[in-house]
Amino acid sequence: MARSVLIAEDEPYILESLMFLMSRAGYRVRAERDGAKAVAAAVHSQPDLMILDIMMPTLNGFEALKQLRATPGLEALRILVLSAKGQEADRRRMMALGADSFVTKPFSNKDLLATVESLIAEPRAKPANAASDTS
Amino acid sequence: MPDYTTGKRIRDRRLAQEMTQAELAKRAGISAAYLNLIEHDKRQIGGSLLGKIADLLRTDLADLTGSVRQRLASDVLEIARALGTPDVDGIRAAQFADRHPEWARIFIRLHRAYRDADETAIALSDRLSQDPTVRELSHTVLSRVTAIRSFAEILQQHGDIGHSDRERFTTIITDQSDELAESAREMITLLGGSLGEARPTSPAEEVDDFFIHHGNHFPSLEDAAGELRARFERQPGTLGSQIAERLAALSETANRHEPAPPSHMPETTVRFAQARRLVVADLPDALKSVIDDDRLTTNAARERALRAVASYAAAALLFPYERFLETAEQARYDIDRIGAIFAGSFEQVAHRLVTLRRPGAEGVPFAFLRSDAAGNLSKPLSISGLRMPRYGGSCPLWAVHAAFAVADRPIVQLAVMPEGERYLFIARNVKKRMAAYGEPPVTFSVMLACDVAYSDRIVYGDGFTAARTSLETPVGHNCRSCRRVDCGQRAYAPVMLAGADAQGTVAG
Repeated sequence: MARSVLIAEDEPYILESLMFLMSRAGYRVRAERDGAKAVAAAVHSQPDLMILDIMMPTLNGFEALKQLRATPGLEALRILVLSAKGQEADRRRMMALGADSFVTKPFSNKDLLATVESLIAEPRAKPANAASDTS
Repeated sequence: MPDYTTGKRIRDRRLAQEMTQAELAKRAGISAAYLNLIEHDKRQIGGSLLGKIADLLRTDLADLTGSVRQRLASDVLEIARALGTPDVDGIRAAQFADRHPEWARIFIRLHRAYRDADETAIALSDRLSQDPTVRELSHTVLSRVTAIRSFAEILQQHGDIGHSDRERFTTIITDQSDELAESAREMITLLGGSLGEARPTSPAEEVDDFFIHHGNHFPSLEDAAGELRARFERQPGTLGSQIAERLAALSETANRHEPAPPSHMPETTVRFAQARRLVVADLPDALKSVIDDDRLTTNAARERALRAVASYAAAALLFPYERFLETAEQARYDIDRIGAIFAGSFEQVAHRLVTLRRPGAEGVPFAFLRSDAAGNLSKPLSISGLRMPRYGGSCPLWAVHAAFAVADRPIVQLAVMPEGERYLFIARNVKKRMAAYGEPPVTFSVMLACDVAYSDRIVYGDGFTAARTSLETPVGHNCRSCRRVDCGQRAYAPVMLAGADAQGTVAG
């Protein structure tokens, strides 16, 4: 069965390009345009990986990430954070909160796909609450 | 484009017009059998016959020889590399440009819009503070840039997508570009208009684009300057004395636009300035017809372009194409030696070398860049794979900057880009004017760059041909886009960089 990816991104065109890329790469794709709905969708649909934008309405990426990592049953969910901010501080903060990888905008499609593939290829080894920043 | 020859192009254009071989051969005044040989590359074609066939096929020479497509292909390849897709090779770029030239042009235009927007966003990022409005706007700009880049890459990398998707993605890119321009204008207004009026390009950039579009080579000016020179050579005396005599004979009115150079300038500068005055006076139509180009949208740009093409024609007059190329090859591109033979300065000779792009009689392809001591860059001319920066600074490790510290001789650098491409950089500082005591000297540094593959053809490559990594200097394009995070010369953090170093993965 195809692996599934949940995309949480509020910008419609970025969302459309991500959906195109992920579908083309053979993933089952589901998308949400706000943080709160994305957390609910993750609980409900149990995707293999989530692409999470930091700046979203209702619940920003930091808050969404905290909630996701505190939710029992989502320990195996790999989370790739997409952000407009390239700063090291944001990156460290997201990693400390349990993100598995981080890609800055504007991203290269190839790099993004390669990151998704490498994350999905391996099971998420650490429990969510023990994620640490090793970058 | 070794797999798509002039013969094949003639055949394709003929078939597209549903013309038989016999019909085209008859109208061209050759036998059908001969045309058949040409179309199958068994006979070379050139000269007036090629021109005639181009007319009969209602196309132009450049289309049949492929130089237009080569230019498109090299731009596509350059962009693909800039986007970090090293697996797109020259052959695939050539196929794309040949089969879909209109898409290739759109792709190049979109990339230019994207790059300009990207540069604007980088310039503005310095001004970003905690102001929520500014943050919101910058987020919007970055989102637009992200969408444009992603869809541009999809168009480029997914050749099999359907027509309707292709149309939709192109429309998205166009719309997002418009909205990006609008966001950029809002941001400039918000920041007090300190970046000047929001306009797509400055006159200098338009002129740069104009020269880049022409590959810095103008056959009509080469011809006109050649005829002018031939006229002088039929008379007794040196070229310099002929030019001086002709200038003296011209009325004041004829050369009021080109004031005589002050006498304290170096001799090479005086001679070049005289040649410029002469071409402005004697070749006005040739100069004007070259700059009759819709890429030049303002009077300021046209005036700037006119000055630049006058310099081009002056160089073509003083350094005639064939003789200059032959000398350059014999002297292995030793700029000082060529300068001694043709009585030209380092900058004049270096600049002329870049123009040796005549199809079939090309010199080593060089990029060109000039910098002042503060790092302000001018006259950028790129080569395939190496884009000379147009905005802001370049990498501080480039030889063009180090050359200020070395007096009166060129320095050579084997520069390695982050992606692994290797180039020879040849730079030297040049004085534009002999300063009187107390007068600040006007100095620039001039740099030529070529692919290291040409190192055995040029004198500056001696010693660099072997793969000796100890001689390599790791460089980038500029700090903003450079992936070398541990560089000691880093002036700015890499921003808006989507690449291996801008992302991280927690070890599992």
